[in-house]
Amino acid sequence: MTDRITLDITRRGFLGTALGGAAALAAGPSWAAAKTLNILSHKVHETVLGTGDGDLMKEWKARNDTDLVFTTFDSNPLQDRLFREASLPSTDYGVGYIIDNRPTADIAKLFALLDDFLKSAPIENYDDIAPGLREAMTVGGKTIGIPVRHATGGLFYNEALLEEAGISAPPTTLEELIEQAKKLTFTAKDGTPVTGMIMASDLAVFPVSFARAFGGDYITKDFKLLPKPEAMEKALGVMANMFKDGALPRSYATTKNDDQVTWMQQGRAAFTMITFARYKQFNDPANSKFPGKIKAVQFPKSKSYDGEMSAVTESWGMSIPANFADKELAWSYIREVSSPRVTLGMAKNGNGPVRVSTYADAEFAAASPVAAAEAKALATARGAFPPFPEAARAQQLFLEDVQLAVLGRKTPAEAVENMVKRITPLLPA
Amino acid sequence: MRNSRLITGAGKAVAVAALLVWSLLPIAFIVMSSLKPGRDIFAVPTVYVFTPTFQHYASLWTRWGQFFDGLLNSTVITAGATALAVVASTCAGYVYSRNSGRFHDASVMFLIVVRLIPPIVVTLPLFPIVNAIGLNDTHVVLMVLYATFFVSLGTVLMRTFIDQIPRELDEAAEIDGAGRFTILRRVIVPLAAPGIIAVAVFVVVFAWNEFLFAFIFTATNAKTAPLVISEMLGSMDGVDWGILFAASTVQLAPVLLFVVLMNRYLVAGLTAGATKG
Repeated sequence: MTDRITLDITRRGFLGTALGGAAALAAGPSWAAAKTLNILSHKVHETVLGTGDGDLMKEWKARNDTDLVFTTFDSNPLQDRLFREASLPSTDYGVGYIIDNRPTADIAKLFALLDDFLKSAPIENYDDIAPGLREAMTVGGKTIGIPVRHATGGLFYNEALLEEAGISAPPTTLEELIEQAKKLTFTAKDGTPVTGMIMASDLAVFPVSFARAFGGDYITKDFKLLPKPEAMEKALGVMANMFKDGALPRSYATTKNDDQVTWMQQGRAAFTMITFARYKQFNDPANSKFPGKIKAVQFPKSKSYDGEMSAVTESWGMSIPANFADKELAWSYIREVSSPRVTLGMAKNGNGPVRVSTYADAEFAAASPVAAAEAKALATARGAFPPFPEAARAQQLFLEDVQLAVLGRKTPAEAVENMVKRITPLLPA
Repeated sequence: MRNSRLITGAGKAVAVAALLVWSLLPIAFIVMSSLKPGRDIFAVPTVYVFTPTFQHYASLWTRWGQFFDGLLNSTVITAGATALAVVASTCAGYVYSRNSGRFHDASVMFLIVVRLIPPIVVTLPLFPIVNAIGLNDTHVVLMVLYATFFVSLGTVLMRTFIDQIPRELDEAAEIDGAGRFTILRRVIVPLAAPGIIAVAVFVVVFAWNEFLFAFIFTATNAKTAPLVISEMLGSMDGVDWGILFAASTVQLAPVLLFVVLMNRYLVAGLTAGATKG
């Protein structure tokens, strides 16, 4: 018996095997499709299209003999990469997913104009896509993207905590929300210290929603800064009072989006404002102490304001880099993904549906308890601010003053005055 | 006198303990969180006693398969970059150790200055060039970039190390008929092994964790594990912390193990030349 295992291989044999293997790999498997469409997106865009038997693009792939290859990044890196790819003399990426507050006039030049495609090979029932979302994908009246996903904000509340505090229904006005948030700043039966409401301090969504509840805004579509300054003052005043009364966390200045989720899941906060899409995560039994108890309504407006309040939304669109050669193939993909069938399929997989008709689907509505509230909010929703080159810097300055006002270091009037002084020079002429 | 020694000893112990807590606490938090049920990760009050679950690791495998592709890519790139940097640094260190002159001194200074340039300065202009020569999204581009960034530090380190090897050994080998390359291979490399390992540890840790270059120059084929972890953090459907901590633990383990195993050589390599002269 030998204690050594030997492998007899000659140099010629090794070389032949290696070359043969390399050739086989280089040739690729025989079942590969003739074409490949490379797509730059967030992972969630790929996930909602499904896989295997649930692959919503299976027929399209077979019909076009094309494989889809997704390159995925987180949102901001994705936008950077997309713009960089589109700036090259040519790119292999046929479709890029773009966020609605990014395409400035200069950025728009990097992408193919889609109006001609919409005429020559129209998208099925295009008018069914929410008008606000379609408009967000136009620059100077020209379409550069087709909406594919939206994330619209709503007010989430923990029903169990409301019941514990003797509150029978969620708020219908901003004043009720503030009152309930104060009442819900207490120690729960299980000993958990509860804060009335939690909101991230590094996003414009929150002060903008409070300002809209009073009929104001941050920057309008036509670049008017603080169209009703008194509404923003009221909004900051309300938020500052909530902080003073302990109805916002002491850690407000460092609170992030993810804290909102974990605090709600743990029952450490009774209210938060976040996209309706988070419903599933809030109520996931594996991660939440209150599965099925965290519900959502539209963010309420002040009883002192009679007008219509727009919820804040962020949407994604599909665009074609202008430097991509096979634009017909890319457009074919976009048409398919935008179809009512795929839109509904993606919605069932957790995508914020851009078509109004999707919300009417009985199966979808039954599976998503927040669908009705989301549909209502979406009908009039628009972005927190329009895209312009200095938007990020302007948001930073805006949030600095918001934070100082909420923490009580500035009066709301001083904060608003400072916003006007510092942000006005950054707006497009 | 004895009291003074006791106080000094206690002070040192406290300092070491504080340092250990400072360094190990985040790692312990990550590893423990990866084993906790999801709802206990951020529970208030903190849950210290729990039944460990491997559910997050199973979910990592089923839902983030690309993370494991990323690990494979990270391994290939780290190995390639380390080999490249070690070979180049050793050769360059040998040349700088055994030769001197105005040009050599100036070029050493140049190496150090190049190392001081922030990576982002060279990264973005490189993107169209790398794209034009077809190296985008390949393992090779990251291997070369990582090695390039560490050759300067590696060369200086290796020069210090090789300086300690008596030149008489080179001369003896020369008398026996050895050429420069043979001397390097047969005499210098075996004696400079701790220095080589120190350089390798630096490159491995850097290449394994690097994000910026990988983010700019890869897409799918050469995407590394840190990029996939960053995607988990930016998930639009919300972060699944259990999976994220499981991925972080898997990402952390090999490099931690490698550094612990190489610790002895690392200290020897870094202190080389400290008592010279």
